[in-house]
Amino acid sequence: MTEARDDQGAGAVRAGAAATASSRSSGPGRLLIAVYGVFALAATARAGYQIATKFGEAPVAYLLSAVAAVVYIVATVSLARPGARAYRVSVVAVATELIGVVTVGLLSIVDAQAFPSETVWSAFGRGYGFVPLVLPVLGLLWLRRTRPGSASA
Amino acid sequence: MDPFFLIGTLVCAVSALLCIGAALLRQPPNDITILSVAAVELFLLVYGVGAVIRQLTFEPVLGEAWEFWGYLLTALFVPIGAFWWSIVEKTRWSNFVLAAAGLTVFVMLFRMEQIWDGVAGL
Repeated sequence: MTEARDDQGAGAVRAGAAATASSRSSGPGRLLIAVYGVFALAATARAGYQIATKFGEAPVAYLLSAVAAVVYIVATVSLARPGARAYRVSVVAVATELIGVVTVGLLSIVDAQAFPSETVWSAFGRGYGFVPLVLPVLGLLWLRRTRPGSASA
Repeated sequence: MDPFFLIGTLVCAVSALLCIGAALLRQPPNDITILSVAAVELFLLVYGVGAVIRQLTFEPVLGEAWEFWGYLLTALFVPIGAFWWSIVEKTRWSNFVLAAAGLTVFVMLFRMEQIWDGVAGL
């Protein structure tokens, strides 16, 4: 019943998004950034907790936790900000995240001894419902769709 | 099973389902979805008061107290943040953002219960 109106609304949003530089934080991007924000929060809290309470136990794993936290924070902020520079930063951050989750995921399974403690990226993010593995893929797809100049040039 | 956990799970689940449903129906955030997220926030406040009472009376936290309160204080910001982030844009995607708040709070509630019962930490 309300579909026609809402489709129109979505169309207008899409057209508006293509015309402005901040299209990344619009539509599906809104949800993407929200999920990135949650992971930035979770990874930061976890890394902070691990480093504050038991850094000596597994320094490499906990430093990795901290790296993951920084990557999530940079990704969240750069995705939310308009402009070509923020776009490039977000591509680097999301690509780093993908490489990180695949590398740490593989290592944590192949060489479990080296990664005795859990990080967000351990076992491809199993402890977080594999969201850390899916998120960068969706992120890169979204960034490709909202490439600056691809629609508005 | 802790009745607080059951109620919290129910509130978060109903909120997430309402918001996802509204998003699937291509609705922007409306009174129902926003109030459902407000209910999640209200639950967290009641949960916090309950935790203070439990702590001071018959059932103190078995895990790290500061970790529990850290989780709770952080969780209190999740519905507020989701509301702030979703209200700017009136599309169905904002309802997915609101749904993410309920799901996130549920996961955090799950962890808070583990900490309260002294289950091994992170």
